[in-house]
Formats: sequence, C-alpha cells, structure tokens
Amino acid sequence: MNLYRLTLPVTLAALLAACASPPKPVSYVALLESPDGSVGKIAVKGGKGEQVIDKAKTGAPLDGSQPAAPISDEKLKQDFGAAMAARPLLPERFLLYFESGGAVLTAESAALLPMIIASATNRPGVDVSIIGHSDTVGKAEANAALALKRAQAISDLLKEKGLKAAVLNVESHGESNLLIKTPDETAEPRNRRVEVSVR
Amino acid sequence: MRHLVVLLGLLFSLSIHAAGEHSEPIGYVKTASGEAFIITAQNRTAAQPGTPIHLGSQLKTGAQGSIGVTFKDETVVSCGPDTELTIDEYLYQPSQGKLALVTNLLKGSLNYVSGVIAKLKPDAVAVKTPTGTIGIRGTQFVVKVEPEMKP
Repeated sequence: MNLYRLTLPVTLAALLAACASPPKPVSYVALLESPDGSVGKIAVKGGKGEQVIDKAKTGAPLDGSQPAAPISDEKLKQDFGAAMAARPLLPERFLLYFESGGAVLTAESAALLPMIIASATNRPGVDVSIIGHSDTVGKAEANAALALKRAQAISDLLKEKGLKAAVLNVESHGESNLLIKTPDETAEPRNRRVEVSVR
Repeated sequence: MRHLVVLLGLLFSLSIHAAGEHSEPIGYVKTASGEAFIITAQNRTAAQPGTPIHLGSQLKTGAQGSIGVTFKDETVVSCGPDTELTIDEYLYQPSQGKLALVTNLLKGSLNYVSGVIAKLKPDAVAVKTPTGTIGIRGTQFVVKVEPEMKP
C-alpha cells in the first residue's frame, strides 16, 4: 500500500510530462471497411520496411517501420472527418439484358430504366457511361456493331425518359469483355448486355 | 539558337496539352467546399461539381477546403484540407486489358474507395507518398501525410 501511494504521483507526473510534449504526428495509412461491408487488404512499402494491413480500423506508418495497430474512431475522425464528409455518392452500376439477336430489352431490364434515371437525378455533376456487350455468336466486327447499336438504343431510351447527364458516353466492347467466359460461337444471354455506370 | 529555344518551348507546350486538358477526362469533381482547385496543364480552376479531371491533374485544397472526385472506373477519392494529390497514371480500357491508376499524395488527407481497375488488375493500382507506397487489393482506406518537420 505504501509503495502504491509512493508510485502513483510519480506515474502521474510522468504521464503529465508526456502530455506536455505531444508525440510528433506520424504519416500513416489505415484500412476501413469497404462500402459493401467487406474488408480488403493493402500493403505499404517504405524506406523502413513493408507492412500488410488486412483488419479494418488498423493502420501503419507510411515508411513501413511498424506493423499495423488499431486506430481509434476519434483519431480517424480527427484526421479524416473532412475527407470522409467530402466523399461523393458511390457510383451505381446497372446491367440490362436483351432478347436474342436484337436491341429489345427483357421485361425485367426495362423495369430498371426508371431506377437509372432516379440514380442520376440526385448526383451533382453526374456522368454516365453506357457500354454495349455481345455474346460470341457471329463475327467480332458484327458483334461490335450490334453491341454499339444496343448501347445507343439504351442511350436514346434513357434520354427519352428524361435522363439528364452533363456527360454521357456510349461505347461498345463487342464480344471482347464477356461477363461469362465462353468459347467462340456460344450463345449466352448473360453476355448480351448493356452496362450503365452512373457516377 | 533562339529558334531552337522557341521550337523547344513550342514542343514543350504541345506535350503539356497532349497530356492535359485536350485529352479525354478521366473523372469529374462531384463535391467541393472551401478553397478547392483542380490544376491541369498549369491552369488552376476552382473546383465545382462537373469540373473535369485529366491525366496529370492535381487536386489541391486550402486550410478549410475539401474535394471529392469519381473516376470513370468508379474509383472514388476525397481529400480533406491542405491536401495535394496528383493523378500520375490512368488507363481504363478493360476490353484491351489496359489498366492502371497511380496517384501521388504529396500532403494532406485522402479517403480512397477503389474501383474497377483495382478489381481487374490490383497490381496496377498504387498511392505514392513521400515516405512510402500503398498497394491495393480492392478496398476502402485513408492516408495522412504530415508536413515534413524542419530539424
């Protein structure tokens, strides 16, 4: 007990001394949970080593000198509150599918069009990409043309329904960017699609 | 000699334009507040929603500024105050496998949500800083670069 009485003020004094000269701020990187709820992985490589970070709310100095350690919510808020508050609305991506061989949307996909317009409406400085894809039935050039025709049809339809975007790109990836990998000359409805990216 | 200087100057300005504002935008500003600027090919523009970002552009904020940008591949970055971030490499042609996104955080704070490029080719995505380089495997993270201390 006597020892406790003796050491407590000494410990407090040491703590106060430490507070009086705050540690030098350290440049660091911290991993956060991704917007979809998953947690990814980053690696930081600096002059003093390399560290892998794979747990949310842990971080490591940028020079790679220390392994990842927990970072408090208060610290994250203090250092990144402004950057987090400035984060734009996350982009949304829609997949539209077609009846075979033409540019007519399936009923399910047609029902998505109002959602695309709603998604674009509340975004400041919105830009939209409409990318057409085909399956591998037929020649590559013909498929590039068909995929462009599909993308253009969606662009026309969205504009007709009231889509307003400062920037609207219409592109074709033809049969070169398959969602489902198939050999050539394979009918695959899931590859006959138009991707709409609303940003 | 003078002709050579003029010619070199001309070539230099042409090359800046080639990599600058006459190229296709790679993203757009979506949020901006306080002192927030986009510097492209030595031209400084006050950032506002819709301001285009090009390869080589710098995002720059003042003491009360912040800025948010979404790239064409759906990578989302935002910066807090006193920040400088440049876009050193950007390639987004998935059908040809041409993919790269390298940014350089000179100072300040950054919130980064990776996009399609990191998903398709994680090795081609990096954030450089004065003391270390961050490699990415599809995720959200934050980076803080403190000003260098004068001894």
